[in-house]
Amino acid sequence: MSIYTLVHIIENAAKQKPNKVAFKYLSQVITFLELHKKSSQLASYLINEGIKKGDRVGIYMNRSLETSIAVYGILKAGGVYVPLDPFSPISRTEFVIKDCGIKHVISIPQQHRKLKKLTELLNFISVVGLTNPLTNCKTISWESIFNIDVANYTTINILGDDLAYILYTSGSTGTPKGIMHTHASGLAFTTLVADLYKMENAIYGMHAPLHFDPSVQGYFAAPYALATTIIVSDSHTKMPASLADLIVKEKITIWFSVPLALIQMLTSGVLENRNMSSLQWVLFSGEVFPTKHLKALMELWSFAKFSNIYGPTETNQCTYYHLKTPPVTNTTIPIGYVWGNTDFKIIDTEDKEVSKGAIGELVIRTATMMKGYWNDPLRTQESFYKDENIIGAPHIYYRTGDQVKEDEKGRLLFLGRKDHQIKIRGYRVELGEIENILTSYPNIEEAVTIVANLEETEQKILVSVIMPSQKTAIDIDDLKSFCKKKMPIYAIPDKIEILKDFPRTASGKINRKEIEKLIIE
Amino acid sequence: MQEKIIKYIEELSSEEIDESIEATEDLLGSGILDSLGMMKLIAFLEEEFCCKVLPEEMVIENFMTVLHITDYLETKLVEKQ
Repeated sequence: MSIYTLVHIIENAAKQKPNKVAFKYLSQVITFLELHKKSSQLASYLINEGIKKGDRVGIYMNRSLETSIAVYGILKAGGVYVPLDPFSPISRTEFVIKDCGIKHVISIPQQHRKLKKLTELLNFISVVGLTNPLTNCKTISWESIFNIDVANYTTINILGDDLAYILYTSGSTGTPKGIMHTHASGLAFTTLVADLYKMENAIYGMHAPLHFDPSVQGYFAAPYALATTIIVSDSHTKMPASLADLIVKEKITIWFSVPLALIQMLTSGVLENRNMSSLQWVLFSGEVFPTKHLKALMELWSFAKFSNIYGPTETNQCTYYHLKTPPVTNTTIPIGYVWGNTDFKIIDTEDKEVSKGAIGELVIRTATMMKGYWNDPLRTQESFYKDENIIGAPHIYYRTGDQVKEDEKGRLLFLGRKDHQIKIRGYRVELGEIENILTSYPNIEEAVTIVANLEETEQKILVSVIMPSQKTAIDIDDLKSFCKKKMPIYAIPDKIEILKDFPRTASGKINRKEIEKLIIE
Repeated sequence: MQEKIIKYIEELSSEEIDESIEATEDLLGSGILDSLGMMKLIAFLEEEFCCKVLPEEMVIENFMTVLHITDYLETKLVEKQ
């Protein structure tokens, strides 16, 4: 059958491979046919509750099998799914729920305690998935959902242009912003990655939680390719040896995670005596993979191809860089090339295209781009760059806020955030470049560079914070002379501090703001 | 031993905890500890109880709850004697 919306993915899979396992979580499995039926039962419930096209429905779950039923059930009802991270503070969840007007939440019994708190703060109409009822709103168990008769169930007419999901990410202003994707943008991304990594028959290891954009691959691209998705449990993400065992046990063929998960397995030494040769592709995104670790991992897993994926949540993802053999030097690997249905420009601060090879901001035009920010047309407009060459049909690009340059081979190199490009004593400095040089020094795991203001003289200075490998000492004087050899004099950090651990955000990225606070204190 | 471990985890925890952690509470699935918190806890255990947590032992079965951790440590300490 033809696939025009995300809902068609499960309808098609249930026809093509009804008895194949669609999702697996620990020892629980659900086949494509079961998922099709159960998600229709949930949709039927939501429609009866009055859910109309475009209504937002929350998914308040940690990693679990039920996430798959919730995603497809909400979409089938014409709704928009909004993942709510149960591990984030209640106040943030409260903000998101209010911001996009969520009235129904799908959950699992483990979240009963927190939902009780939330329902005391907010007016929900119903909560699905709890076994014990809540006192102040309608509660319905999964068991009751699965008893709903769907013999007379009729599908909703969904268009590619209809909203499908809203992912909230932390905004620079401090309040989370809701990134709206449609069935069309989600599906464009789905087909691109399913083709690029040849996902048919894959056993796909999904490390990302639902609220983190790489999960779109696991929930949609894998079922689109009729592949099985292994939902990695929250417990597995925390224990490197168990995580490695899971890859072996499930014979995972495509793995996708943030670099940190791979680095933790590598550096804790749990990979040595395990046969992980089922892996054909190792995909990573979200942060720069320190090249020395990438090299070590690629030498260990020489049977697998590696791919660096880049892209802000606003574009789903948009570039890739494949590696078949380990990098030769310690320089940071490129973010590579834009994939199909996608184009880019590199622009300066005046919105003019830079000359070839020069540094500028990356803007992306793609079929996988968001519709805009929820309830924030101004911010949406500001985030777009318009090329008005064709009157009446402008090309709309998303401003990534990332500094890049194109090398002589046409590959894009990531140089840090636009707001990490600073001017110090009149010189333009890319903080990302300083960080890359610092991490190429032996035994430095990660580095962050910030600009601090000296109070007395109001002079700006560069402070680098480094995280040494476990149980190693860094000779700061030697590191400084290393910097002198590698970078221009004005870019050499005025101060280098050591931190044993870096504070991180919920998705595992380095929390620069927290580090700034620590340094200023 | 149990008290010491619970106290340390409560200090570490990224989440707002209303009630104190129980020895049988799921530390990994519930979000009480994140993966970096887990690494810190392991370093704490190694220092506090003078043992070495081998990479192979970093598994869910040994660290799911405080009770699992104490069982695991006790077996290790017996082995050491």
